[in-house]
Amino acid sequence: MSVRRASALVLCALTCAGCAESHKPPRAAERSRAARALAEAEATHEYPSPPPPRQTTTTTAPAPVQAIRSFATAYINWNAQTVANDMRRLAQRCVSQARSAMQLAAAGTAGDYELARGGIANHGTVEAVAPLPGRRDEYVVVTLESTTATNTTAYQGLLPAWHIALATVTEQAPGQWVLSGWQPES
Amino acid sequence: MSASVAAVFAAGVGVAVLGLLTSVFGQGDQCDAPAPGGGIVLAPPGTGQLVGATEYGGPGDSSSGVIGSSGANLLDFPDSYAELGGETFETATAMGGLPYLTPLRITWGNRSAIAYKRDIGLGGGPIDGLPRVIDLWWELAGRLGIPYHEGLWSGPVRIERPPPAGAGDLLGQSAGGPGSLIPASTAAQDPGACAPAAPTGVPITSGARAQLLPDGLAAAPADAPLAVQEMIAAGNQIVGKPYEVGGSHGLPLSDVGSTYDCSSSVEHLLYGAGLLPVTYDAPSGTLESFGEPGPGRWVTLYANADHVFMYVAGLRWDTHNAAGPGDGSTGIGWHPLIRSAAGFVARHPAGL
Repeated sequence: MSVRRASALVLCALTCAGCAESHKPPRAAERSRAARALAEAEATHEYPSPPPPRQTTTTTAPAPVQAIRSFATAYINWNAQTVANDMRRLAQRCVSQARSAMQLAAAGTAGDYELARGGIANHGTVEAVAPLPGRRDEYVVVTLESTTATNTTAYQGLLPAWHIALATVTEQAPGQWVLSGWQPES
Repeated sequence: MSASVAAVFAAGVGVAVLGLLTSVFGQGDQCDAPAPGGGIVLAPPGTGQLVGATEYGGPGDSSSGVIGSSGANLLDFPDSYAELGGETFETATAMGGLPYLTPLRITWGNRSAIAYKRDIGLGGGPIDGLPRVIDLWWELAGRLGIPYHEGLWSGPVRIERPPPAGAGDLLGQSAGGPGSLIPASTAAQDPGACAPAAPTGVPITSGARAQLLPDGLAAAPADAPLAVQEMIAAGNQIVGKPYEVGGSHGLPLSDVGSTYDCSSSVEHLLYGAGLLPVTYDAPSGTLESFGEPGPGRWVTLYANADHVFMYVAGLRWDTHNAAGPGDGSTGIGWHPLIRSAAGFVARHPAGL
């Protein structure tokens, strides 16, 4: 083997070793991180994941009660043709559980044959909003609602009825309140 | 959520709700709350389950008074009913112990109306083979066209829960869902429940075939659709009625007549399953064009100009000795043996 050829081989070996060496630490770190995450998941039954991006909303209200009244009014006033879009728009106005619930409502009503066939509509007013004693940022909402239908007599003669929902609000920035939880109770 | 936290939370909700409702309902006529009782709005007949009903109140029944057990003055709330059952007021739970103000759609003849529970009352024996579960305030009964009979009328009505109402229920987001106030154990016995259940009073047998019982009634198969079970329940109402040409023709199909012929009895069963309007009245020949042609999976009518009979879940519904002497029958009712269908047109209800 000539000196030149031997030098070339050594250079090549060093280069390759260098390449390999430069990638080893990240792979090891990754493996280590995954191992730690798995160990944590085994203990806590939760696989750690990065925090979700901060949710933004299309609108906010200057006070909790205003945010709730506005949301609740939209939630109870719709008809079979508008309900899916109405719920989609509501989802953009709230965060957290309330957003998930509205997205679910939008998905559920988009193909609801019974709602469409019956020509069902819901109308109502928000009668009262009151803070829940001992529960920060949680409110009780009373609505008076009437359900009607254009293609079925099933609702004919049914009086408007009172309904109750629990609402949670979040202050996203000073004076910018949005709904973060919505749970109809009746 | 721990029990203590849940208790604090529940107490908080209770206080808030009480305060809210006090303020809301305390507004009296100033708010847009529904007028008490409101007018009774008549609607076309509903479906639901057949139950025995009575009426109370009015000028011929001074003993009932006008104040319901809920405290409501029934003169202000003509759309009222009482839940019956048992021999004491504590056991007046014939419909599972419905909460006050539970709405029910009540159908009699070709009319229906929504009424609200504002009273309870003593029970009594079956009415036309149906359990006596509901007492209708006389003004409600009158609006439905039920004859007054000095407050002594009794007969079958259909009752059903109105469908879910309000955004939370319609969107499937209410925590308890509609009707959740009735415990599951009693909801199964609730004739007004929305979920399909066996019609009140009809015995159930396992499998897909009806069973003829020693007393001449039929047990409905557990696997059959609700309409088939209702048909059998309606048949059991009039089993053994004497045969008379033209018997019960001209009566609303919701009534139970004293005699029947082949077509009126078959029509009573079809009405029981919600397959005919209450005013339907036709001779056997007309039933040659009923429903769809050919035998059905559960129900088949055999009709011609002279006679009509049917099979329901394997049992023949026919008149006395229609298949010849000793065919196993003792009157209008269920028959254990098949008979020749020669000369008849086979029809069946759509889907059955």
